[in-house]
Amino acid sequence: MTERSDWLSPVMEVWLSGPMLSIGLTLAAFIAAQWLFAKLRRPLWMPPVLIAAVILAVIVWGSGIGFHQYEQGARWLTVLLGPATVALGVPLYQQMHHIRALWRPILFTLPIAATLAAGYALGIAWLMGASPLVMASLAPKSVTAPIAMGIANQLGGSVSLTLGGLLVTGVLASLFVEWLTRWLNITDERIIGFTLGLNGHAIATARAFEISPLAGAFSSLGMGLTGVFTALFLPLAFMLVS
Amino acid sequence: MGWLWGFFILVLFFLLGEAIRVVAGLPVSGGVIGMVLVTLKLMIRGDITDSLASASQGLISVLVLLITPGVVGVFFIADQFAGEWWILAVALVVGTFLSVATTLWLMNTVAGAEKEGAGHD
Repeated sequence: MTERSDWLSPVMEVWLSGPMLSIGLTLAAFIAAQWLFAKLRRPLWMPPVLIAAVILAVIVWGSGIGFHQYEQGARWLTVLLGPATVALGVPLYQQMHHIRALWRPILFTLPIAATLAAGYALGIAWLMGASPLVMASLAPKSVTAPIAMGIANQLGGSVSLTLGGLLVTGVLASLFVEWLTRWLNITDERIIGFTLGLNGHAIATARAFEISPLAGAFSSLGMGLTGVFTALFLPLAFMLVS
Repeated sequence: MGWLWGFFILVLFFLLGEAIRVVAGLPVSGGVIGMVLVTLKLMIRGDITDSLASASQGLISVLVLLITPGVVGVFFIADQFAGEWWILAVALVVGTFLSVATTLWLMNTVAGAEKEGAGHD
């Protein structure tokens, strides 16, 4: 045992001194998750992000690296969420002619649906007697991660809990959209995409891009508009209520 | 190297978005402001360079990778909310179901009415 730790501890030390171990682990988990996801015939209830997160949680916890240390290194990847959010403007532009054709239903639906996306969950949590911390963490559940983190901070919620709610919401939204469109016989990819992005942010948008570029563009649009609308509206509404 | 210029443009617009966010005091993230600005810029220009198209395609395809580290954190805070997990579960499941159903119904109804009324425009 001592012989093993003789070489292991300096190796771990040098690995943990930079962000590359976190980056490597995240990449490995992501690739493994993609592979497993395809192997399992792409189950909607278990998207790659959930598989990758479970793999990483087990490794980070089991190896003793610890979440704090992992997160420090992984930040080198997550900063790219900024330019990646900007990049969503490109499919938006490329599909602009489709969006123009549907601008009226979009403008009509957005404020109502985006308000309800937060409102239903908050109403239920409030009726069940949730604490203010849980309420504030739950409020931005349909908003894309970088915006939601900002809103949760502003409302005094827990960012990690918000991200958990985001994950569950994204997975459920993909699942429910699939069921409900089949049940309601809705085949318009623009409507499916918009609903995915409005309710399930980036996770559902990844799902929308699997359906088609058109669905993906409408999902980006729904996600972007919901993000902007919620970021402006929610802190105001929270201020008025409390 | 084709995508490098496009990536630079994306970073530039992100920085611009952050600047506008701070100066104007907006509660919206710099990324979203940058996204809106890129869309507007492309609409004014009327076309898109291959470099920007491939850079954005590359980033969008790894969006899930970029979210993953934040999601891992959920497993390390679960016990903090042990007393309220069932409230969270019900609120998330029922809330998301209702909001997905509402959005689909609204969009479908309004878009359907639009199609029928298109002749009057």
